[in-house]
Amino acid sequence: MRWGWMRREVAVAEPVLQVRDLCIAWRGADGRANRVVDGVSFDLAAGATLGIAGESGSGKSTLARALLGHCRAGSAITGGSLRLDGDDLAALSEAELARRRGRVMAMVPQNPLASLTFHIPVGRQLEEVLRLRAGLSAGPARLRAVELFDQMGLPEPERLARRYPHQLSGGQRQRVVLACAIACDPLLLVLDEPTTALDKTTEAQVLELIRRLRRARQGAMVIVTHDLNVVADICDQVLVMQHGRIVEQGPVGAVFAAPREAYTRVLLGAALRVEEASRAAPALPGPALLEIKGLGFRYERPSLLRRAPLGPPILDGIGLSVARGEVLGVIGESGSGKTTLGGIVAGLLGGQAGAVRFDGKPLPGLAGQRTREQRRRIQMVFQDPLSSLNPRRRVGDAVMRPMRLFQGLDQREAARAAAALFEELGLEAGLLSRFPRQLSGGQQQRVAIARAFAAQPDLLICDEITSALDASVQAQVLDHLAAMQRRQGTAMLLITHDLAVVWRMARRVVVMQGGRILETGATEAVFRNPENPYTAALLGAASRAARAGRPEQAEARA
Amino acid sequence: MIALILRRGALSLVTLFLLVSFIFFATEVLPGDALDVSLSADEIATMPAEVMARRKAELGLDRPILERYWGFLGGLLSFDLGRTIITRAPVADIVAMPLRNSVALAGVTLLLALPVALAIAMAAAQSKGRALDNAVSGAAIIGYSIPEFVTGLLLIAVFAVWWPIFPATITASTDDPLSVLLAAAPLAIATTIIGSIAYLGRILRVGLIEVMAADFVERLHLSGIPRWRIIWLHALPAAMIPGLSAAALYAASLVSGVVVVEMVFAYPGIGAELVRAVTRREVHVVQAIALAAAICVVLFNLLADLGIAALDPRTRR
Amino acid sequence: MRAALRRPAALLGGLLVVLHLAVAIAAPWIAPFAPTSLLDAPLEPPGATYWLGTDDLGRDAFSRLLWGGRVAMLVAFAAGAVAVLGGALLGLAAAYRRGAFDDVVMRLVEMKLAVPTILFVAIFVTGFGQSVPVLIVAVGIIQMMGVVRTARAAGIVLMEQGYVRAAQLNGESGAIIILRELLPNVADLLAVEFALRASSALLLVSALSFLGLGISPPTPDWGLMVEDGMALLESEPALVLAPALCIATLVLGMNLAAEGLADALGLDAARGGGG
Repeated sequence: MRWGWMRREVAVAEPVLQVRDLCIAWRGADGRANRVVDGVSFDLAAGATLGIAGESGSGKSTLARALLGHCRAGSAITGGSLRLDGDDLAALSEAELARRRGRVMAMVPQNPLASLTFHIPVGRQLEEVLRLRAGLSAGPARLRAVELFDQMGLPEPERLARRYPHQLSGGQRQRVVLACAIACDPLLLVLDEPTTALDKTTEAQVLELIRRLRRARQGAMVIVTHDLNVVADICDQVLVMQHGRIVEQGPVGAVFAAPREAYTRVLLGAALRVEEASRAAPALPGPALLEIKGLGFRYERPSLLRRAPLGPPILDGIGLSVARGEVLGVIGESGSGKTTLGGIVAGLLGGQAGAVRFDGKPLPGLAGQRTREQRRRIQMVFQDPLSSLNPRRRVGDAVMRPMRLFQGLDQREAARAAAALFEELGLEAGLLSRFPRQLSGGQQQRVAIARAFAAQPDLLICDEITSALDASVQAQVLDHLAAMQRRQGTAMLLITHDLAVVWRMARRVVVMQGGRILETGATEAVFRNPENPYTAALLGAASRAARAGRPEQAEARA
Repeated sequence: MIALILRRGALSLVTLFLLVSFIFFATEVLPGDALDVSLSADEIATMPAEVMARRKAELGLDRPILERYWGFLGGLLSFDLGRTIITRAPVADIVAMPLRNSVALAGVTLLLALPVALAIAMAAAQSKGRALDNAVSGAAIIGYSIPEFVTGLLLIAVFAVWWPIFPATITASTDDPLSVLLAAAPLAIATTIIGSIAYLGRILRVGLIEVMAADFVERLHLSGIPRWRIIWLHALPAAMIPGLSAAALYAASLVSGVVVVEMVFAYPGIGAELVRAVTRREVHVVQAIALAAAICVVLFNLLADLGIAALDPRTRR
Repeated sequence: MRAALRRPAALLGGLLVVLHLAVAIAAPWIAPFAPTSLLDAPLEPPGATYWLGTDDLGRDAFSRLLWGGRVAMLVAFAAGAVAVLGGALLGLAAAYRRGAFDDVVMRLVEMKLAVPTILFVAIFVTGFGQSVPVLIVAVGIIQMMGVVRTARAAGIVLMEQGYVRAAQLNGESGAIIILRELLPNVADLLAVEFALRASSALLLVSALSFLGLGISPPTPDWGLMVEDGMALLESEPALVLAPALCIATLVLGMNLAAEGLADALGLDAARGGGG
């Protein structure tokens, strides 16, 4: 791999990027200006890699685009300066900015599938950049494109160049947009959530590629992400953002080892630390509550003649058991089948092979075929708190309905029980008469939990219940849930991709990949000594942030 | 790709068959029959029963419905569309030329309206939210709010009565060569074009605006690719896809939807024929026209589907 | 609602509709003459007694104009209501059941869309007569198809929502889910659809009357007035232009109101397909 073409001449003394008091705002319907980025200042030297970390709404994506002089429609740079190689981008005209884009500054966008033109083969799209921005003519551009694909690690680059974006895998698409961005070896390369949509194995490969790029290039790199583990892996400096402001900034090692600000601590606190003791509750004695043997599930083509299978099996030979009062963590990435498993146990999906037994009796697939008691005793909490509640109904109604349905309480009794339930979850009784949109994300999710507990279930299925919440709120919701679970002695099937959540809540864990169970056992045992290489990879990726705080990691990152 | 064409083609034939059957049953299963309507009340009262029975037998109105259905289908396959009730003339002869005229009108309209609608939509999408876009949207709403006969009459009032530039009604006749006919109908063409531009322009504009906000357009913009290139080579083909189905449906409906315009301008098309046939309960003529319309719809949908498959590689895999 | 009123276009639209409604309702009291009475003065030009003149049968054109919108608006709004209610239930049911039921409904809708509008009404009318209830049903069915598609598309998205799944988990019946969970959440969509369908229906009714397939004489109707007066365009333009203008402004008002409402609710009015 010849990376020599990337050695551009860069004056090492001056920082490549100098941002001073940058403010970006958009005009609301009432005419007021809302600041998305508020007084951001930082320097970036040549060859350095900066990680901009924050949750959704922190302004990091807006800042990323502003580094290329671009503001989405309706917003604009309202203050401060943004110097790239000496020129203030905020003061340049659109034409001058266009001249620099793609050549001096480039961006790798977040969603590669949506960011590539679906009706043009990927090779031609890279050639377009090479011809228009690097000044190559048609023939040399075609050769160069194949060369670049090869350097990005794409297999059979000539054949692949003729394919369309939807025919490539997620990792391959990411490499294609990466190739388009570095085609002219820009001074500043911005990557927006480069690995968010990828599974952990592919993520490791792409991160390795980015690390190689970093070493080969002399220009600066900015990585925008919500995942502190990614920052820990490839960045030397970090900028933590919240509500448009910088909360903390500095070298990665220093910030991660001893965060000064509370918010940074919260973000890091959500990271996995297997040295600490697990706080998960023990199981209750007695026979298993839920038993699954040889469970299989696949989609079938709705054919009039026969049931034709559609695609590979989603679940294959799943076997597990959950004791009363026990929390079982189900770990897997997207595509592992964990959500389908939850759906089958909950009664949303039918038509599966294998046996599922609940409290000793067979459990039919669809909720409609189950007895009322079975339906009452198994409840579910979903990932997206906003879509969990009917926007047209008051929050109290949603919680009272299962009470009236299953326990036959009348309006007044149900209202009193609902208020008590709210109190246990840390919600004021006054919220009962509010509508979902008037509540925060954390409150909405707690209402959804209240609704689930309103039926007094024996088994609660939680499907990624904190993934859509801010880090600062996740801990609160989980604490309330844990307390509730202990008090009621409810068993839980905790489905998530977040290992830290499992560590905190689950006594036992099951690791899934591609519809199969790879490993199962006590959480402490599995996390400290994983037997399966996939589990080890997951654990490695998830604990980078925690390890980054330790001094011996600093050299390993270079 | 060939498999796709064959499959869509087969599906279209099935749809056509169902439509044809629906048309037959809808027109023949109604209370009363053509004979009752075409004769006046006096004649019905004074005609002896045997004569009535014989007339009905002649026209095949006394056979059971299923037999008539088979006869209908058989006739279709041999291109025999039956005969009219009153004059016993072959329906095919009555319908052929008006059909040609209506298709010609629709075709010319589309040919002229589509590029204009596209140009307007592009201009509006590029200046989204600003003066030009608002003016275009406003004009479009007015364009499709005004009934076509009103537009037609307004055009006549202005261009034929006030300033006698164009003739008010068509002076050419049904069988004239198309060039003569179309040249004699400028106001009619103008009327349909106005409605078409308003309708198509609106749909294309929305499609374009959506595409312009897409991620791949942003990536190209951030790569420094010139705007015109983004629009013509990337955004436009992407926006054509949803627009194509809408345009096809509209094109199909145009052939029979120009009824009103034909009546206003006395254009010898299929719409005028249809109204005449309905008022006289000429069942076979109505069936023939409905059949022609159904074929148009199915054909255009098929073409649109194939067009989409050609434009959008995602549908092929 | 308030946001809709803030937009000038929507405000204008709403004003036009209200104006037309007011005139139509008050017609019996404010019209100078009865719309069907034959006064002994055919083809009088517009003047002091007869503000818009008289038609060829000697009826006062102005009075007929005031009365002309009543039946058309009645049919349009009623047909709109039929279309929206029937379409919503059918569309949501299809979204809920999916499978074979959904396929059948969608095929029926596509087939119905393939039948030309005028033809469909023509068939209906020849079979069942040209009365107002028949027109309402025929026009309502035609407009229903677009609503079915829109409601079904919205319904499919709603079925993925957590609260619908929670209701399914608890074993709530299909009818309850459709009525309690789905219907309230498409209410704003249906409001926009109603405005659009009613305006489409009005255009259709006017066109049908113009062709002689809709409202039958002697009931005063704008479409009929245009047809009657067409031959006299050169001599008595007012007889044609006045009713034409009325139709145009009412439909325009409805469409502007619909777009304004859609805009305020964050929906896209151009999405409403077919019909």
